[in-house]
This record gives sequence, C-alpha cells and structure tokens, in this order.
Amino acid sequence: MGPAHARLALQGFLLAVPTLVVIFGFIFFPVGYSVWLSFTNKHAISPGYDFVGLANYIGLAQEPEFWWSFWRGTVFSVGSIVLQVLLGVGAALLLNESFTGRGFIRGITLFPYMLPTIVTILLWKWLLSATYGPVNYVLQALGIIHTPVIWLGADWLMASTIFVAVWQFFPFVVISLLARLQTIDLQLYEAAAIDGASAWRRFLYITLPELRYVLYVVILLRTFFMFTKFDVPWLMATGGGLQRLIENLPVFAFRKTFATFQAGEGAAISVSLFMLLVVLTLLYFWVFRREVEA
Amino acid sequence: MNLRRLSLTGALYLGSLTLLVLCGVPLAWMLFTSLKPSSDLFAYPPRLLGNYTLANFRNLITETYFVTYLKNSVVVAGVTVILDIVVATLGAYSLTRYRYPGKEFLANMTLFTYMFAPIMIIIPVYILLKEVNLANSHLGIVLAYTSISLPFTLWLLRAFFQSFPIELEQAAFIDGANRFQSLVYVVIPQALPGIIATSVFAFVVVWNDYLFARILLTDPLLQTMPVGLQNIYESTVVDWGLLMSGAVIVTIPAVIFFLVVQRFLIQGWGMGAVKG
Repeated sequence: MGPAHARLALQGFLLAVPTLVVIFGFIFFPVGYSVWLSFTNKHAISPGYDFVGLANYIGLAQEPEFWWSFWRGTVFSVGSIVLQVLLGVGAALLLNESFTGRGFIRGITLFPYMLPTIVTILLWKWLLSATYGPVNYVLQALGIIHTPVIWLGADWLMASTIFVAVWQFFPFVVISLLARLQTIDLQLYEAAAIDGASAWRRFLYITLPELRYVLYVVILLRTFFMFTKFDVPWLMATGGGLQRLIENLPVFAFRKTFATFQAGEGAAISVSLFMLLVVLTLLYFWVFRREVEA
Repeated sequence: MNLRRLSLTGALYLGSLTLLVLCGVPLAWMLFTSLKPSSDLFAYPPRLLGNYTLANFRNLITETYFVTYLKNSVVVAGVTVILDIVVATLGAYSLTRYRYPGKEFLANMTLFTYMFAPIMIIIPVYILLKEVNLANSHLGIVLAYTSISLPFTLWLLRAFFQSFPIELEQAAFIDGANRFQSLVYVVIPQALPGIIATSVFAFVVVWNDYLFARILLTDPLLQTMPVGLQNIYESTVVDWGLLMSGAVIVTIPAVIFFLVVQRFLIQGWGMGAVKG
C-alpha cells in the first residue's frame, strides 16, 4: 500500500468518523452504561450509587412481577408476530396479482405502517369504544354479537392490543414480501403450468421456496421489534390496573425506572430483555441453520 | 377452467375488499370524526350525512397546546433530519467509495443496533444527558434521535450510492475533480432522489416517536406531537372529534412520505433499512 493509497484510506475513514461518533457515543456507549448500571443500585434522579453485583438480577428472578411481564410480553409478541406474518403473506400474494385497482389497494394497505403509534392507538380506542364505537355498532347490526363487547376491558385487552399491533405492522411484511415476489422469474411458473402443475402446487414448489429467505429475515426483524415494543402496550392502557394485563418487559423497565426510580433494576430488566433476544436469535439461527446457508 | 378462473377472480376481489375494509375504513373514520360535531358522533346509529364542520380543528388550535406541540415537532424532526443526512451522506460515501480496514465491521455494526431495545438505549441516555444538563432540551433529544435514525438512513443511502455507477465519478476525476468536488457535483446530485426519500423517511420516524419524547422531555411546553396528543387525551373529558382532528394533522407528514416513496417501497428499496 503506497502513501497515496494510505492517504485515500485515511480520507475515507475520516468521512466515517461522524457516523462512528454517533453510533458509538449514542448507542453502544449508552448500552454499555446500561449494562454497568444493572450491577448498581443507581437511583433514577439522585446521583451517586454503589456496585451491588448480581443483586438486581437475583432480585428480579425472585420477583413474580418480572415473570408476569416476561410472559405477558411473550404472549403479545408471539401472537402479533404470527398473525402479522400470516396476514402479511396473504396480502402480499394478493397484491402481487394484477387486477384493476391494485395500486389503490396497495396504497391503502401499506398506510397503517406510516401512522404515528399515538394516532393508531387513539383511533382504535375510538373504534373499539364500548358504547359509541363503530365496531360494536357494525357487529351488532350484522347480528354477530347481541350486546356491546368491552374490547378495552380486562377480558379483551390483550386480544385488542395484539389486533392493533397486527393492524399497524402487517404492512411491513407486505412491503418486504412484495419486493421479493416481483423478482421471481415468471418463466418458472409458465414452465410449471405447461407441465400441468396446479396453482396450489406452483405456490408450494415455486413461490414458497423463493420467499423462504426473505421470510426468514422478516420474522427475525419482527421478533426484535415486537419484543422491544414500548409504545403500543404502554398507550393501549396508560397506568392503572389494566396496564398490568399487557405489561411487557420494556414497560416494566420504564415503570421501575421512572415510577419507583430504581434505575439499576430498570437497567437489569433491559439487559435481561437483550439477553432473551440473543438467546432467541441463536436458537433461531440454529433451528433454521439450513436456510442461512441457502 | 373458466369456473376456476372465475373463482380466482372472485377470491382476488374478496381479498381486496377485506384489505380495503380493514385498512381504509378506519382511516376514513378518523377523517370523518374530525369533521363532525360530537352530537352527530354519539347519535346511534352515527349520522353520516350533513353537518360537516371545522369546529374541532378550531378548538384544537385555540383551546389546547396543539400549536406549541406542532412547532416543537417540526423543529426537532427538521433539525434531526439535517444533522442525520449530513452524517449519513458522508458515512455512506465513505462506505461505498473507499477501502480501509474495519469498513465491513462498521457496516455490520449499524445493523446490529436493531437488537437493542429502544428502552435500553434511552434510559442511560436520559441519565447521561441529565449529567450534562441536556435532559429536557431540544438539543438533547435531537442528538438522541440522530443516533436512532442514523443506522437506517446510513443503510438506505449506502444502497443508493451503490446503485449509482462509479464510472461517472471516474470521468470527473479524469477531468481533474478532487474527491470533495466529485461528492458535491457528481454523487450528491445523482443520489438526490434517494437523499430526499431518505430524509422524508427519517423525518417520519422522528415525527412519530413517542418513547424518547416521553422520557427526555419533561416540560410540557417543550413536548412534541405524539406525547402532546396523549396529554390532550388524558387531560380532558374524551372529545373524539378534537382528538381525531389532531390525529389527522399529525398524519400529514406520513401522507407526504407515502406519496414520495411509495414507488421505492414497492421496488424493495430499503430492505434491511427499517424501523419499528
């Protein structure tokens, strides 16, 4: 490597310095600090703290509230991931066909993903409202239910929250899959049709294998995003007893830090969540190790 | 065969209708609510015809802090996007046009950040910003937003720069341009549609955020739209007309974003550069 090359490499590196400063200074450093705080008894507001070792983690493992939030979060995440992937795959296959009005339907379908979460939540609280909400009205008019359902009450809150999350995030799956579907070589289908393969078999043996890798990535990303989701479960039931019914680990970490000011314990919750995701990811890689190679 | 074709068409339209009802009707209902007096909304069945009014929007502006929230949101999202795009453009140019050790590592690092829960980043950021007296300030939240939006703006711009032929730049070098001139006069003009789309994307992500604003900004008068709207929801007897008129206004950037980038989105632009 001559001096001219070295100078060029240095120039390139210097251009990346602002990026490095932001990513390390504002993401990796805080994350590291979070790990450090999880071993301390830091108070959220007042300065000064002591190193307490694993005390926060041991405390959490013995705290029923922690496990409660862990399970509630798991129900919310798994439920919403499965449904958004199923709905997303269905919608993407549909929107990949050509028919009149496709562009319009595509636009409408992708739109919920762009909405601010606060708008999504307020809109659905209004739509699902027990007494004047249009959902109950329509369901009653159609004779599906006879008395208004309290969608945001204790019995239905988790289901409603999952529904709202699916509504907001299934377009993500649609966008990702549509992009991939458009790159499938149409000649594959023509050849299969000539050989007498039915539509179902063409889907099973051409479309699905082609979608495998993108689905693999999409499910992984959705897992990260849904397990770490704060705003949806937080806003669906702000405060109060109902909040506990849909409280996941991020909300629990928030409450520990800002309601009881135990920032050390709050940090330990976030770190536990991170470790959970690492374990899930490794497990996922291992179970689907053949897809990774493909 | 004809019967099969017919049933396939039927399935297509049934599916489309389902999507239209599922996604379109709630959005129409939001707009409808914002334009109706509350007496019409609480009629059972709801009255669809007549009596349209802008009273909800007027109340929103005169009786709440909506305008303050709106102004804060525009400032915070605007400044973040400028900072973000400058840093990401330099970074993406570096990642696509230079060779140096650790380059791939840097590119992969940015994707790795998706694994961190936002709550895991924001609590320590809050504590650290408090130490330097930047908690509860627009400067503090702009820095925090830049950091969370940078990984995917960088990723998007990198894809744009990669798709753009390097020969044009080499021609500029032969004509005696230096790297800086080439970046400013050749690369950026070529990548401008991508830079604009990326900016709007980053704007919408920051504009839509609830969590960071909720934690970093404690003074209600500094607050941005999403938390502001939640404050309006919590502080009054629930007035759906008022809230939906706010929701409609907050949704406008998303609509603009949509018109700008829908084409790119469908083409698969941005796989791997995603948020939420």
